[in-house]
Amino acid sequence: MKTLWQVGGVLALAACALPGADLVIQNAKILTVTKGRLEGSIRISNGKIAEVGEKLMIPGGATVVDAAGKYVIPGIIDCHSHIAADSINEGSVSVSSMVGIEDVLNPEDIDIYRALAGGVTTVNVLHGSANAIGGKCSVIKTRWGKDVKGLLFEGAKPGIKFALGENPKRRGSTPSFGATTLRYPATRMGVEDVIRQAFTDARRYQADWKAFEARTAKGETAIPPRRDLKLDPLVEILEDKRFIHAHCYRADEILMLLRLADEFGFKIRTLQHVLEGYKVANEIAKHGAGASTFSDWWSYKVEAFDAIPYNAALMHKRGVLVSLNSDSAELMRHLNLEAAKVMKYGGLTEEEALAMVTINPAKQLAIDSRVGSIEVGKDADLVIYDQHPLSNYSKVEKVFVDGVMYFSREEDEKARMKLELRKKALEEKQKKPAAAPGRRPA
Amino acid sequence: MWRTKVLAILLTAGALWAEVPKVLAVRGAKIYTGTGAVIERGNVVVRDGLVEAAGANAAIPPDAWIIEGVGLTVYPGFTNTMSTWGVPRSTSAQEPATPRGRGAAPAGPVARGPEDRPANTAWITGVELVQSGDASIAQARDAGFTSAVVFPTSGIFAGHGSWINLAGDKPGQMLVASPLGQSLSVRTSGFTSFPGSLMGAFAYIRQVYLDADHYQAAKELYAKSPRGMKRVEYDRALEGVLASSRVMLPAASRVELERMARFGAELKRNVVLYGGHDAARAIEAIKASGFSVLVSLQFPEKPKEANPDVRDSVRTLELREAAPAAAAALQKAGVKFAFYSGGIEKPSELRAALKKAIDAGLSREDAVRALTLSAAEIYGVADRVGSLEPGKIANLTVVDGDWFQERSKVKAVIVDGVKYEPAPVEAKKEEAAK
Amino acid sequence: MRAILLLLASLAAAPAQETILIRNAYIHPVVGEELPSGSVLIQGGKIAGVGVKLAAPKGATVIDAKGLHLYPGLINSATNIGLSEIGAVRETSDTNELGDFNPQLRALIAVNPESEHIAVTRANGITSVVTLPQGGIISGQGAMIHLDGWTWEEMSVKGDVVVRLNFPVIAASSGEFFNSRATAYGEAKKRYDEELEKLRLFFEDARRYEKAKSAGGAGFQTDPKLEAMLPVLAGRRPVLVVARRERTILDAIAFARRERVKIILAEVREPGKALAEIVKDKIPVILGETHTLPAEEDAAYDSQYTLPAELHKAGVKFAFGSFDNQFARNVPYQAAAAVAFGLPKEVALKALTVHAAEIWGLGGQLGSIQEGKVADLILTDGDPLETKTQVRSLFIQGKQVSLDSKHTKLYEKYSRRPQ
Repeated sequence: MKTLWQVGGVLALAACALPGADLVIQNAKILTVTKGRLEGSIRISNGKIAEVGEKLMIPGGATVVDAAGKYVIPGIIDCHSHIAADSINEGSVSVSSMVGIEDVLNPEDIDIYRALAGGVTTVNVLHGSANAIGGKCSVIKTRWGKDVKGLLFEGAKPGIKFALGENPKRRGSTPSFGATTLRYPATRMGVEDVIRQAFTDARRYQADWKAFEARTAKGETAIPPRRDLKLDPLVEILEDKRFIHAHCYRADEILMLLRLADEFGFKIRTLQHVLEGYKVANEIAKHGAGASTFSDWWSYKVEAFDAIPYNAALMHKRGVLVSLNSDSAELMRHLNLEAAKVMKYGGLTEEEALAMVTINPAKQLAIDSRVGSIEVGKDADLVIYDQHPLSNYSKVEKVFVDGVMYFSREEDEKARMKLELRKKALEEKQKKPAAAPGRRPA
Repeated sequence: MWRTKVLAILLTAGALWAEVPKVLAVRGAKIYTGTGAVIERGNVVVRDGLVEAAGANAAIPPDAWIIEGVGLTVYPGFTNTMSTWGVPRSTSAQEPATPRGRGAAPAGPVARGPEDRPANTAWITGVELVQSGDASIAQARDAGFTSAVVFPTSGIFAGHGSWINLAGDKPGQMLVASPLGQSLSVRTSGFTSFPGSLMGAFAYIRQVYLDADHYQAAKELYAKSPRGMKRVEYDRALEGVLASSRVMLPAASRVELERMARFGAELKRNVVLYGGHDAARAIEAIKASGFSVLVSLQFPEKPKEANPDVRDSVRTLELREAAPAAAAALQKAGVKFAFYSGGIEKPSELRAALKKAIDAGLSREDAVRALTLSAAEIYGVADRVGSLEPGKIANLTVVDGDWFQERSKVKAVIVDGVKYEPAPVEAKKEEAAK
Repeated sequence: MRAILLLLASLAAAPAQETILIRNAYIHPVVGEELPSGSVLIQGGKIAGVGVKLAAPKGATVIDAKGLHLYPGLINSATNIGLSEIGAVRETSDTNELGDFNPQLRALIAVNPESEHIAVTRANGITSVVTLPQGGIISGQGAMIHLDGWTWEEMSVKGDVVVRLNFPVIAASSGEFFNSRATAYGEAKKRYDEELEKLRLFFEDARRYEKAKSAGGAGFQTDPKLEAMLPVLAGRRPVLVVARRERTILDAIAFARRERVKIILAEVREPGKALAEIVKDKIPVILGETHTLPAEEDAAYDSQYTLPAELHKAGVKFAFGSFDNQFARNVPYQAAAAVAFGLPKEVALKALTVHAAEIWGLGGQLGSIQEGKVADLILTDGDPLETKTQVRSLFIQGKQVSLDSKHTKLYEKYSRRPQ
């Protein structure tokens, strides 16, 4: 008996009648994002896109999915999410780079399945924004039913969360969550100071290790420096081995971080939220940072009061690599519709809009050689919609990850009945709580 | 009033103590030796606190006090492998009796990182908390248990477990082995002191073990040639961590079991997982890890006071189904496991929980092994306890009938060669009424 | 497009109550047949005529809407617009008063006509909203307001369309959130029963007051709190009952039956068996965001997406509300999301227009393009439920209103920043 949370395995079987056989999606309107649009077929072999064309030969034994009248796009990529993790914020300290999402990934989080059902196939699972330097993050694929190892996006470059502005400074002025003491910093000035101090420490730590290695290389006896899990990731940043995803809102703090990074010689990979990014789009583009923003969030706090829905389009027009993210388990289920908003606000094209939830976030996460568009050789992460995915009337019908069908609306509807039956049976069985163990006159 | 009653019981126990015979024998009983097949009819001989012989034809010495064994079953003494028996409630009360309950916020300064060693009493051992007169000890014996591995329970690094025998005037006398393993939890309290999250707890534990290895290496280097080197600052938390290479990691659900199987492998120590309820669904990961598992006998149940309008999720319902079957799944997969009381406070309630495990597919033989020799093996003390092999400590559970049957009665337990009979039912009733 | 530009240029000089003829528009009157090419005449703030070809009265401003679509202005049936500016800043929020029972509080008189949310929201074609207080058990009176006007008085469509009641819930919690205390079911149920009893007593007080007033004894004294309950007791002012789950909805309906008050349910999420009761009593519903996660792990992933279609199938009349300001402009997309999951398109549009107006007792004034109704109209380049559609012109009470907002102004300003 499979329950809903095991349904992925069932579908995997259903989709691949013959293990190793090819899969062909045919008669579809294919929006490749990078190579234009066509009506035709996609052949999938060994989890990769093997062929895309108007007329393809269907190899013997291949499973055929007819998508007549339907649309296919590459799997959606969410560059900012907090699903699939059992904790999000290590909020005690202003530098929490010792913690990491990978330790607490929860492959049974139902939000994974729900995101999948919304066409999302790749997710950047980020630490929260309670601290200037937050925790390490994990890039996953929504391979529902797999364990942690099966979720992790193989070879994705590791990242870490930073946060500027109101969130990291909040605990400097208001004792909250039962705290009796204030936590430094209380201002944007202090946020810069915390980051500067941390990288100053990281440089010293890096030098200590180099000195130790030099001494042992000469054959000297030396006590190695203490491994510091807080500073290790910062050294990785200095050595370009780890990406920074920085939560930020206001133009001043965005510029501050870019300049601090310039000074220490590292790059900001993405600015997250970056709601006033449009005010410093020139500077962001010049630094080379990506921007991962909301389509139209605003006014929920002071630093979001100058947020405008034209932000994505404005930054894009100034040469910033822009993606749209969710930061919400619900919003991530319809990022395609969020993308449509850049057409409304700023007049971008359909292709530019779709790129903001597919190839652009893929580039930001440096996984664009694998995912983000429908191109031969890329992972067969594909979504079939019943209507144009930028229409509010569209819905997801099927989702493939690595060529395996992990979601099908049809199968889901069937599984609901089974789940309810199983639930009823278990409820019945457990109705009378067996008299508490040994509850006898003692 | 309650205290006087306890005292009275203790005095009774004291009276028994005065007549300790040097040699004891159970004659003609069914015997589970712990190591092999069941002997349908045999003798067990105990001398000077150790097992002298056990077998179908074991000779009964002429000086032995004899217990007629017809209708009785003799088991190696049962062990609760993670417990707070013997620890007065006032000491362990800040948390529920389950080791690793949801803790109260630690009083004290706010920790700003692993360096502050928050929620860390790694140097404490269970035996230090035990009081020989604690009422739970006699209650545990009455339920058929002769031993327990007692752990401190607060914090993330709670401290070490100590194997104690459940009888003795002084904790020192009761102790069999210690320290036996650092009890870890990943429960954090609050958001403001490090670690303030589950992932913070992981980072903290990881850093402390790195620090411990570094500390040890530095100390060794310094000891070799102190001149010209900065001396290593004493760190009692790290001393505590280094005192045993065994690490107890909490893991009940599939996600936790798989998670701890990964994390445990990183620590490069002798890892024991405790909790274990969802073992069947995580069996591949557990098996591959090579770790043993302590299965909590507090199986999840529908809370007595549940909102009638809210249905439990299938996940919750399935876990309730799976928990009693966890032991059978571990057995089938060849994973070493034992049992512990979890949140069950009354020792007398453990049997019913074990019966559920048997009903869910575990054989009696395997259940007995888990309660005895496997427990000893997991803690590395099988050379002295856990079976009725000659020379081992004479811990026996003697039952009228089959212990797992509710109608059976614990006739006596023998701890360190001394026989204890359960308190008369009337006395217990009175006690319960208080 | 050219017509629009011309029109905007003339806007500054336009008299407040001018005569406007919109012609060559694709007219979607919502009630009645569509006119693929027709005219609408606006006079005195009202719709004075709808037809295939209407002649322009003398002095009328003529708008050629060729290629554009004319819809009635959309209605967002639940917001805090004018009452709250920045969610996280208490000082900017006037939604939650102290005390459990405040039927006398009036949202209307706290509406800030300068709120940035007004222009931002209307730019998406929303011409009127219900703005609601939200604290305590009885929060106060919600108002239907136009998203245009120099003062709240001018904005007011109806100042007391409803009294909001946050129906008590059994708030048992596992205590898994930061420092939150676990609340056992028994304790939560006890508190729930106490709150229900308080609510019952409050209505009883109101009835006694009603009797005392009509008896007109010498000792009678006016009590503003209870006075505000009289229209409720008389069935003239409906109660907006926020009730999300089956148990709450059932209890709310039982309460309404006992007290014989007219209710509108709000934010219905998991009606379960209560759906039949909603149907039986013909209770209208204000739905919250369609794009919402199911509360239960085992619920179908689309259980909230399909909810509007299920209500429609059962015969429930409903409208949509955002229950906030930030996303108030997106209420048409909530309706569209429901269409993706089974709601007929025309019902979605009605929920944003004529059904909303009817539910709020304003069916004679708002919600359709019909002669005599208030001239709240939008000209669009397509389906207003689709995101990419642009609203080209917007009329509130017959006056063309600017589509500029804080957002467009910042957009224009920073578009001008040199590269």
